Amino acid sequence: MKDVSFGQYYPVKSFVHSLDPRVKILFLIVFITVIFVAKEFLALGICAAVLLIATLFSRIPLTKFLRAVRGILFLVLFTATLNLIFYPGETVYWSWKFLQITKEGILFSAFLVIRLVLLVLCSSLLTYTTTPVALTDGIESILTPLTWIRFPVHALTLVMSIALRFIPKLSEDAGTIMNAQRARGAKLDEGGPVSRIKAFVPVLIALLISSFRLAEELGDAMEARCYGCSKKRTKYKKLKIGWRDILAFLVIAGLIASAVLLRVFPQFPF
Amino acid sequence: MRIVVENLTHVYNPKSPFATTALSGVSLSIEEGDFFGIIGHTGSGKSTFVQHLNGLIRLPSSLKRKKKKGDNTILKVGEFDLTRKKTDFRALRRKVGMVFQYPENQLFAETVFEDVAFAYRNFSEKKPTDQELEEAVREAITVVGLPYESVKNASPFDLSGGQRRRVAIAGVIVAKPEILVLDEPAAGLDPHGKKEIMDLLHTLHSSWCKTVVIVSHDMDEVAENCTRVAVFAEGKVLCVLPPKELFRRSEELLRHGLDLPLTAKVCNLLKEQGVELDCDYTLDGFVKAALARGKDT
Repeated sequence: MKDVSFGQYYPVKSFVHSLDPRVKILFLIVFITVIFVAKEFLALGICAAVLLIATLFSRIPLTKFLRAVRGILFLVLFTATLNLIFYPGETVYWSWKFLQITKEGILFSAFLVIRLVLLVLCSSLLTYTTTPVALTDGIESILTPLTWIRFPVHALTLVMSIALRFIPKLSEDAGTIMNAQRARGAKLDEGGPVSRIKAFVPVLIALLISSFRLAEELGDAMEARCYGCSKKRTKYKKLKIGWRDILAFLVIAGLIASAVLLRVFPQFPF
Repeated sequence: MRIVVENLTHVYNPKSPFATTALSGVSLSIEEGDFFGIIGHTGSGKSTFVQHLNGLIRLPSSLKRKKKKGDNTILKVGEFDLTRKKTDFRALRRKVGMVFQYPENQLFAETVFEDVAFAYRNFSEKKPTDQELEEAVREAITVVGLPYESVKNASPFDLSGGQRRRVAIAGVIVAKPEILVLDEPAAGLDPHGKKEIMDLLHTLHSSWCKTVVIVSHDMDEVAENCTRVAVFAEGKVLCVLPPKELFRRSEELLRHGLDLPLTAKVCNLLKEQGVELDCDYTLDGFVKAALARGKDT
């Protein structure tokens, strides 16, 4: 593993790392719901504060998070600008033909930016602090109720974990093949977008073929070890709820409660 | 073209918990006409080193406008100075061909012809005529020992493993590089296939490419073929010697987790029995030395 792509597990020991993956996934779901339901800056402020505390407890350098935000910077600026100049409002500061900047527009764009950034930050916090294996184990455990309606939860999470497992491998392969084609004079990083996409065809085809071979080999290896022969699979690592998880759960509950309170009593004075 | 390297250092993922130093202060030179071997344990920095030679791994100083003070790295391939930003890296790659480990993974085209033609098209100054292209491809496919007429329209994926590797090598040498670098060219082939690939490299060395550099784990291969050998260990160069002198230091090699060629092993066993042979560790050389010794006694 030579190159580390963003969003990958960051190996340090911390409170957040040691939490049960289910609690973290639940936290993420609740958090995202709250972000999208929230209509006031105060609610987002609470979310940001909670996230900041969680981040500090994760002992991951803040620059890592900045890099994650940088990945969606273009998207954020793009949507913010569009909203800024098209959002209808009453207090107009500046207008030109059909474009106008209003107080409401500014507030709305700011809200949107905070929302998007929080979204990226909280999902990166999950992937930085949870190994792919723990993540899929957690998802499998959360989805267990679906097995009552005969939904193949285990197969689904297996597909997920294999996909996650192969991301670094495929990116390494892609790097090697890119280098091999570059050594043969491929112009991968020159020219306009169209010629760049064209130049990538030799890389993509070679990568596709090698990933098919990989999949076939993996299938053979799994079958050779009798995968799917026994009815009930046992786990190597069992998930257990500890005091940390209960603590984190209480924080989540508090977060929901405050969000609901803000929705029910929008004028609630703090 | 001569390759001069001094004080080359490379760190993967600098400033992160994944940071690993692959090369630290590597200095060596490869002369024109060498059949140069690079040996070393897995993770000793061999592959990282060779990827510097055609600019696939760029030096930090060649990516920034200003040179850092105190940076005394030298990396020169012929007239190309790879520490500078202005260097024409594509012209360099034309001169330094690179065959990766398991090069058959780089095949992508529908026909063998198209795949081999890829590098020729890329490196041509202007669009080559059909005749030029066909001539170059025919020559490359023939020199790697494949029947041109019967394979040119075949899909590279229908060929056998050994044949695919030949096609991949043809796809690199078609641009007639002066230096050919190969990372484990014989890995994963059967003994017969290995021999064929090494014979092919000798053919290329005497006709197409002035300098050949191979990275290898196979000491027999190195002893048999190379004129000079560099030993890498933990990102450093331990020594650069001709095989004849290198394999005399068997204890040192064993200490670094490296193997010995069969000839050196037999020489050591004979030495234990009190028979000292002075040979160059190729099979022929060993037999000659043994026969001469037999006549003496």
